[in-house]
Amino acid sequence: MARVAREMVEKAGINVDELLELLVTNAAAELTTFYYYTILRANLIGLEGEGIKAIAEAARIEDRNHFEALVPRIYELGGKLPEDLKVFHDMSACSPARLPDDPTDVKAILQVLVNAERCAVRGYTHICNLTAGKDHRTYALALAILNEEIEHESWFSEFLGEGPSGHFMRQGETSPFVRPFMP
Amino acid sequence: MRRFTLQELARYDGKDGAPAYFAFQGYVYDASGSFLWRNGRHQARHVAGTDLTGALDQAPHNADLLERLPKIGILVRE
Repeated sequence: MARVAREMVEKAGINVDELLELLVTNAAAELTTFYYYTILRANLIGLEGEGIKAIAEAARIEDRNHFEALVPRIYELGGKLPEDLKVFHDMSACSPARLPDDPTDVKAILQVLVNAERCAVRGYTHICNLTAGKDHRTYALALAILNEEIEHESWFSEFLGEGPSGHFMRQGETSPFVRPFMP
Repeated sequence: MRRFTLQELARYDGKDGAPAYFAFQGYVYDASGSFLWRNGRHQARHVAGTDLTGALDQAPHNADLLERLPKIGILVRE
């Protein structure tokens, strides 16, 4: 634990235990989303599905990166991950992004994807709001993740016909915002 | 619609198998079936069995999300 770093956050008026719970539950959301997106991506097939597979894969890898980037901050602040993976799954800040009943329904898969991203956007906005001007390191990390989650939401919502995302497909490596925070 | 006082609402805190209810703007919602309200807790800071009317201002969502939950009662002041 980074004792003084934690002290500074407490001194700034943040309930560190509550913040840690949010960081752990959002880390759980990232890792479980990585898992569920693996199944969704595998089912994005055929004329409709293949066109979405690339962005589902980018979101999947970036969500795993978010998990990797969150873990060091959790331990710095004196928190830890649960030892039991099932406990970790069940404490996720977002509902499981399960494959729809009809796995050939590409629109239903897109709805699962966009719902998961919207939950994440809410979660990191909340963490940014709590930490802004108080816990600079967590804020910078949450903001970097938020930038990527907003892009994911935009990609999927565009395919659902909600209007142009205004974003282009990524060039180069994944996680342009979160990469500096990755171990 | 069933009527709840704050004291009655407090029994439905989602703990030890109890249903998870909360109040918002005079109505009581049942969050027992929601993954995001497991064990009567929501996003580290909200607990079931209470009136959360004032909490939405700080929440990263609007009241429309609550409409996904069954509205099961009315909160009455004693």
